Amino acid sequence: MTFPLGFWDISLILAVMAIILLITSELLSPYYGKINIQINRKRLKNAALATSTLFLATVVIRIAGIIIGGA
Amino acid sequence: MKKSEKDSTFRRAIGQTRLTKITGWIILGLGALALVVSIIYSSSTLAILGLGMIFWGVILTYIQNEEYVKEPIFQSVGNSSFSTLNHILQRMGYSNKAIYLPPRYFKDPETSKAYLPKQQDEKRPTPEQIQAQEMHLFTENPKGMLTTPPGLELTRLFEKRLETNFTKEDLSYVERNLPKLFTEDLEIAQNVEIRSEDAKITVRIENSPFSSLCNEAKAFTDAYNALGSPLASALACVLAKATGKSIIIQKETTDRKNIEIEYQLVPEEPPQA
Repeated sequence: MTFPLGFWDISLILAVMAIILLITSELLSPYYGKINIQINRKRLKNAALATSTLFLATVVIRIAGIIIGGA
Repeated sequence: MKKSEKDSTFRRAIGQTRLTKITGWIILGLGALALVVSIIYSSSTLAILGLGMIFWGVILTYIQNEEYVKEPIFQSVGNSSFSTLNHILQRMGYSNKAIYLPPRYFKDPETSKAYLPKQQDEKRPTPEQIQAQEMHLFTENPKGMLTTPPGLELTRLFEKRLETNFTKEDLSYVERNLPKLFTEDLEIAQNVEIRSEDAKITVRIENSPFSSLCNEAKAFTDAYNALGSPLASALACVLAKATGKSIIIQKETTDRKNIEIEYQLVPEEPPQA
């Protein structure tokens, strides 16, 4: 019994989710007139930023792995 | 919008909140199940599906609707106190424009009050005169009325959200931070524009739910003409605190969604000989 997904797969999923959340949070911004949608925009923005940070962390880990492995 | 329509909108919103919560938990459970099964059968498809479902389940349960107050309640509460103020002004014969006094007129700098002159050509009071009578509703010298502005609590809310006191700030701070507070934090407008030229400050608020409240306030003619709508009054308090000068609401125009308010900075009275 092993987990069927690799590190890069997780990274890709995180990237897709981050893009979706970032675009949604931007589209729901009050600047575009969507002030009648009752959603916690702050939490949506936080979730989008957290997912993006996680994705960037996976990228950093991968780059660090390449640099250390190459040296 | 009719009252029954608003009630049904409110019920629909509550129903949607519950549905979102239940959906979130169901997706989360299914995702966890898919992930466990994917590990047992080493299925990458199920693993991707499981991770995706867990993710969206967490998002749906985390991002819930914000607390809100039904618009008719909000309007009724505001209107009743405004109506009382209107009645007092009518009975006492005060129809002149109010002067929003800056904090230096009071012993306590946290105080914000508006002065209504009894006569149009009444001499404006000095800080000393107001300080001597600041606890009185009616002032004798000069003859007028000192009242708590209808938008004072709103001003306090602005200060609380910005974690500041407008007396410590200046007009440029208000110009920089108020639009962001209205659009991003309080979400009561799509856009806010503050223009200042010489002794005139114009505030334009676009696509705001407050416009209906401002329109309803017009029915209370005397209070509206003297003190402005609660939002205009709140902004007058903000400007009086930030500029340190007395403010008069010169003009307030409201259409279906937009509000434009013109404020006049009152020039300083020359010191008495």
